[in-house]
Amino acid sequence: MPDLIAFTLLLAITAYSTAGGVDFGAGIWDLLAGGSRRGREARALIDHSMAPVWEVNNVWLVLAIVLCWTGFPLLFQTVFARLYPLFALALVGLILRGAFFAFRHIAEDPRAHRIADLVFGLSSLLTPFFFAASLGAIASGRLESFSLMSIAFGLVSLAATAFSGASFLVGDARRYGAIELVGYFRRRAVIAALALIAVGSAALITIGFEAPDLFRPMLAGKGLPFALVTMVLTPVVGFLLWRGVLRWYRVLTVAAVGSMVFAWAFAQSPYLVPGQLTIAQAVAPFSTQVLLLVVAAVVLLVIGPAMGVLYYLDQRSALESPET
Amino acid sequence: MTSALWLASEPALLPSRIQMAFTLASHVLLVPLGVALPSLTLLMEGIGLASKDPVALKIARRWSVVMAVQFAVGAVTGTILSFEFGILWPRMLGQFGGAFGLGFAIEAWAFFLEAIFIGIYLYGWERLRPRTHLLFGLVLPPAGLLGAFGVLASNSWMNTPAGTTLKAGKVVDVDVMAALFTRALGYEFWHFLIAIYMTAGFVVASVYAVAWLRGRRDHYQRLAFAVPFTVAAVLAPIQLVVGDLSARALVADQPSKFAAMEITWTTRDHNPEVIGGLIDANGDIHFGISVPSLDSLLVGYSPNAVVPGLTSVAANARPTIVEANITHLAFDLMVGLGSVGAALAVWHLWVLWRRRRPPESIWFYRLAALAGIGAYIAVETGWITTEVGRQPWIVFGVMRVADAVTTAPASFVWTMLTALVVIYALIAYFFVTLLLRLSARWRREDLNQPSEPEVGAPYGPRPRTFTA
Repeated sequence: MPDLIAFTLLLAITAYSTAGGVDFGAGIWDLLAGGSRRGREARALIDHSMAPVWEVNNVWLVLAIVLCWTGFPLLFQTVFARLYPLFALALVGLILRGAFFAFRHIAEDPRAHRIADLVFGLSSLLTPFFFAASLGAIASGRLESFSLMSIAFGLVSLAATAFSGASFLVGDARRYGAIELVGYFRRRAVIAALALIAVGSAALITIGFEAPDLFRPMLAGKGLPFALVTMVLTPVVGFLLWRGVLRWYRVLTVAAVGSMVFAWAFAQSPYLVPGQLTIAQAVAPFSTQVLLLVVAAVVLLVIGPAMGVLYYLDQRSALESPET
Repeated sequence: MTSALWLASEPALLPSRIQMAFTLASHVLLVPLGVALPSLTLLMEGIGLASKDPVALKIARRWSVVMAVQFAVGAVTGTILSFEFGILWPRMLGQFGGAFGLGFAIEAWAFFLEAIFIGIYLYGWERLRPRTHLLFGLVLPPAGLLGAFGVLASNSWMNTPAGTTLKAGKVVDVDVMAALFTRALGYEFWHFLIAIYMTAGFVVASVYAVAWLRGRRDHYQRLAFAVPFTVAAVLAPIQLVVGDLSARALVADQPSKFAAMEITWTTRDHNPEVIGGLIDANGDIHFGISVPSLDSLLVGYSPNAVVPGLTSVAANARPTIVEANITHLAFDLMVGLGSVGAALAVWHLWVLWRRRRPPESIWFYRLAALAGIGAYIAVETGWITTEVGRQPWIVFGVMRVADAVTTAPASFVWTMLTALVVIYALIAYFFVTLLLRLSARWRREDLNQPSEPEVGAPYGPRPRTFTA
């Protein structure tokens, strides 16, 4: 059962990395969209597609942290006692981003608007980088906030979020019939896929040198299937988008990014912190585990369908006006 | 003395306490409207649908815009809080996460449901059929209730911890039900729930009380004032009773907190009720009004009732003198404001009952305009009472705040605190600017031709084709 709790935690982290990652990626493209005039079209699309869902996506983070401290109190304590600078920086990004996403809509004079855009974009870099960096620090088993491993993980997450952000924006641009933006984000998704392959390979080499105990299971053990899926799917999605075959690319993007998280987690299992803390050592007492599984089941059975309704209504454009 | 010693041994204690206090104090201001405004909005929408009143629907739709912005900011400040448990108090979570955290696990559901259905509700105005729209919205009040339950279950656990079996300082077993439903939950939950509904009612109504004072006295103003104010007015007298029950439960559950609230030095009968006033290190009371035997009467309905004093607890296990004074003044302010609110409520209900319309006295509206601010202060002071009154414990009687604090250097916490203060100030500025701007635009629109209320707001139904 402790493994089941750990798996639930992993699912929450993966859901945040994929669903939240799409939003952060959109923020990164917002930052790179250029000056106010040049980036207007792209920014409008980004706003439009993020608006109804980003808060729901953010809840995955809260779920992950709650599962962590309730299910694995010792892990929570160990990780936070050492990696607090990373979490503090990620948090600063999180607040600024949430706040300025809302506020840039009301900034009336162009300069304030530009600053709000900038803060929103920059904070979209901060949060994924530092959250992923903390995973890197954990994966190294040494819990050092600033190390090669934490930086490698951080960079991979930037490439991955940019990749999934662009991929989903292609879909949104199509849905709104913005032909030019389809091409715009297709090009960017391909570039991001290449970047992800490059950064991912570099990160793998880093893991090989810095954390050989993680490297082996990742390429020859439990992590292998997931690592393979990522390595195959990322170029596939890049290829599909490059050739303009606009089918399946979003599902495959989620699968590629999600598998990456799985590859890391499975490679270091049964350790929560390699060499220091196993799942069995850190897990909360039995009855707490039972309650957490009940919570997870309810999330699956109640929240899942509810979320389905939201995405369904959103995708059917039922949450938009019939006429402009 | 003791606190000075802690500062020496735990360098990050002071900034950590300030940071937690600051971020919690900010978040608690967003909670009343975050949890209770959906109910008021749905009530208004229901009235609008039932009586086919377009004005009521317009009001509901405008409130939903405020609700959305409020929820977005509250979601962010709430997320910060959950991380602060790890950044500032890792040792408390490490030891007790399996029991303390349970409430938050349940709160996570509520957060999910709220985020999902607020999205549907906001973006669904005039996009979904009216009945469907209302139905989706009806998920929000129970979700808010569930969330409040989760958070208060965790807070109650800190006040009256239960359900854990410790072996060598490690929690080896948790009785889930006992840890969720602790003694304090019974009163904390109802007291807080009523408080936030009251506050939401008073705050929303105060906006339209100001409108009345400025001369706007049409159907729109009357409806938007009367509905939330009546909700608050019905609850205010109930709150006096629930609040009284909560305070008296503390005599047994947390005598040191109760002694601090009443600044009672030694355990005694015929204890006077000190209104205002301060206590010094020798137990002498300065300033304030002392009503003989009243505290004993309130606690045990008899002047002979024995009331616990601060000195009944060891000096290092009770609030310091400064903390006791803060607790006491906060408590008195809360009770005072609650009583004024209840009086105003009775005024409103009396006139409503006798004349079938809200009062028309200018003084009533002046007080009603202030009631919004008063309600916020009451929530804030109530929270201060329970948190500062629990000192020096983070888990009452079990773990000290000083033993839970991070080992991070003080400079780190000070830096983070500074950054948070700057960011929160920015957010507050933008938040208030947004609300003022929306209200000004809506007022203009009511004078001219109408448009959709969400224009210029960050959340709301979007056109099918986006425009740059």
